Amino acid sequence: MRNSFKIAILCCNYTNLAEREDLAVIPGEIIIKRFPCSGHIEITDILRSFREGVKGVMVAGCERGSCHNLRGSERAERRVLGARVILQELNIEPERVSMFFVSRLDSGDFVEKAKHFYKKIVQLERKERSS
Amino acid sequence: MIVAERRALSEILKNIEPFEKIMVLGCRGCVAICSAGGDREVAILAEAIRLGRELQGKPIEVEEETFIRQCDPEYLEPLREIKNRVEAIVSLACGVGVNLIADLYPEIRVYPGVDTTFYGANLSLGEWVERCRGCGDCIIDLTAGLCPIARCAKNLLNGPCGGSKGGRCEVKAEMPCIWHEIVERLFKRGELEKLLELWPAKDWRPAGGDGLRIRVREDLRDR
Repeated sequence: MRNSFKIAILCCNYTNLAEREDLAVIPGEIIIKRFPCSGHIEITDILRSFREGVKGVMVAGCERGSCHNLRGSERAERRVLGARVILQELNIEPERVSMFFVSRLDSGDFVEKAKHFYKKIVQLERKERSS
Repeated sequence: MIVAERRALSEILKNIEPFEKIMVLGCRGCVAICSAGGDREVAILAEAIRLGRELQGKPIEVEEETFIRQCDPEYLEPLREIKNRVEAIVSLACGVGVNLIADLYPEIRVYPGVDTTFYGANLSLGEWVERCRGCGDCIIDLTAGLCPIARCAKNLLNGPCGGSKGGRCEVKAEMPCIWHEIVERLFKRGELEKLLELWPAKDWRPAGGDGLRIRVREDLRDR
């Protein structure tokens, strides 16, 4: 499919239980990698995902104040900032990795944010192909 | 600690352009504490190099290793074996480590992965500030422990200068005028008259103006 791209979702076990079938509305290939806590997601995990061919990496952690490990998702947010610096240096649009704070019990919120992120990646890909 | 900062990836990638197998070598000393060259930074840089080279269409094999220190020959011993299996090393140690590898293992192509910046304090998470310039002729016993060489933009020995306004430096407004602070502190201690004493001219030779700085402790030396 011309507008179908592979993206990775790195998230914690607690973020929610949405699985690939919940994300079936997204036309691309979704790779979900779960971690014990989003605070465990390292910059290397984000970069490795790009090396494995994804066009975007969505990092999802619990909403502020609801992290099972208190501040894990805030750590994840910082790692996203760190990864963005490196992507920029490698001439990759930094917004190809984004942090999302999602509701722990509402899969709908997670799916909506994933759809929104995928749409953004599609736009970036179109822009890149037209330039 | 010695504070360092990762060099631009473009520079690192340019240095290792001809090679297909390299090692990113970290140091668990100062650069680990200032989050520039410890285990985590080694992993990040290695992955960034792999990604960068994939994008260039020239994949590279990158080994990762971190030594306890790179400023001490005994900790560099494993390089005797490592040099046989990699074409080059990107060292995340300060300039001391890179130099020592270059001195002891001239056959190894070693490239700096960080710029060594200053001797600094870690004031808060992610913030390091210069506190010493290593000039080798310390005067902070006379200045209430605050160093005008490192902390005055003009390295003045007789501040504050005319550009000090409201306790701020004219060169960098966000920087306090250290001479203003020295005067205030000595005044509060009733020791302001100390600044009226004539100091001998500062000896700048130990700051590097007299060539390579060497310190020898005869009582510690191997004979």
